[in-house]
Amino acid sequence: MSLAPSRRPAWLNVLAGAAFLSVAIGAYLGLRVSPPDVNQGDLIRVMYAHVSVAWVSFLAVGVAALAGIAFLWRGRPRMDVISVAGAETALLYGALTIIGGMTYSKPTLNTFWTWDAKLTLTALMVALLAGVFIVRGLIDEPQRRGRVSAVILIVVLASLPLNYLAAEWFRTLHPAKAIDLTGGGVTIDGTMLTILLYNVVAAGLMFVWLLVERVRIGMREVEIDARRVQADGGSGEVVRV
Amino acid sequence: MKRWIYALLGVGVLASAGFLIQRALSDSLVYFILPSEYAAAPGEYDDRRIRLGGIVSPGTVAFDDQALQLAFQVTDSLQTYPVRHTGTPPELFQENTGVVVEGRFEDGVFVSDNLLVKHSEVYEPPKDGEPIDLEALKDTLQ
Repeated sequence: MSLAPSRRPAWLNVLAGAAFLSVAIGAYLGLRVSPPDVNQGDLIRVMYAHVSVAWVSFLAVGVAALAGIAFLWRGRPRMDVISVAGAETALLYGALTIIGGMTYSKPTLNTFWTWDAKLTLTALMVALLAGVFIVRGLIDEPQRRGRVSAVILIVVLASLPLNYLAAEWFRTLHPAKAIDLTGGGVTIDGTMLTILLYNVVAAGLMFVWLLVERVRIGMREVEIDARRVQADGGSGEVVRV
Repeated sequence: MKRWIYALLGVGVLASAGFLIQRALSDSLVYFILPSEYAAAPGEYDDRRIRLGGIVSPGTVAFDDQALQLAFQVTDSLQTYPVRHTGTPPELFQENTGVVVEGRFEDGVFVSDNLLVKHSEVYEPPKDGEPIDLEALKDTLQ
């Protein structure tokens, strides 16, 4: 039994091109256009990559958890597919956050890693996201698999406000936020802020592209599974997609 | 068989999550103590490895580049302690910068073997002749 080939929409290639181009422009702005920092000098350039990727990792967890909640609500396979796509990108961006953070931390804070509240919560986020895929491997029944993974993702989402405010609430080695949405104002130079926000948009665009590609793959997998159940003379249950 | 491998991996992840939470709660909530907190109860920290955090007092930094001995005073503006550190100062180490030193007190001197920089969240291009905002730097310690 073969699946009908799915036509790749043109806008997806445009999205991919835009994502790569904007990341390249973001790197150029960070490496060439940004002024050096009064204390850190050129090391400030690593910040653009680290902070933008960290923010988008939070966004990815949000998408994964919200899709997970939608799956708990109605049990539609599409929501589980979106949730998994979000969780995979969140794991990627979370790992990049830690790698970039270590790169940035060694020359500025004089250590690759330390167990302060912010870093520990980020490590926990990445560990739980990895856990999602281990748990999914354990469960064969798609509905139960989706429910359990949605619950873990909700726990990860619940930890994010604590992570976001960790450097304000607890004493950490990690620097506090330069853009304080809780009323502390902005303590980053205007040009640097613009370049940072540009890089956040670029990392976000890359995330959207990865998410869409992964959802397309996931939907094909659901289709294949549904046909396999039919071929096995399964329950005859209609799989709504 | 596959199921057992996944189960073992799952137990491993849960164990490491528990370990991380335990670290976060026990160690990280108070990542370092301030000089004034040490002064309030010095007996509590006797013969214990602690992290002491504060601002590098201006005019107190001395570095012997032959013996790799760094000396300075760390302050939270209420209390000041002398620090002796073996090793080269990190790139961002300077007067009026936040630092966290790891080690223990010996006869009133904090002997450190790990010197970390806790820089402020102010990022800006260099300007000529502008003094550093000390109050803003002290705020970063809270």
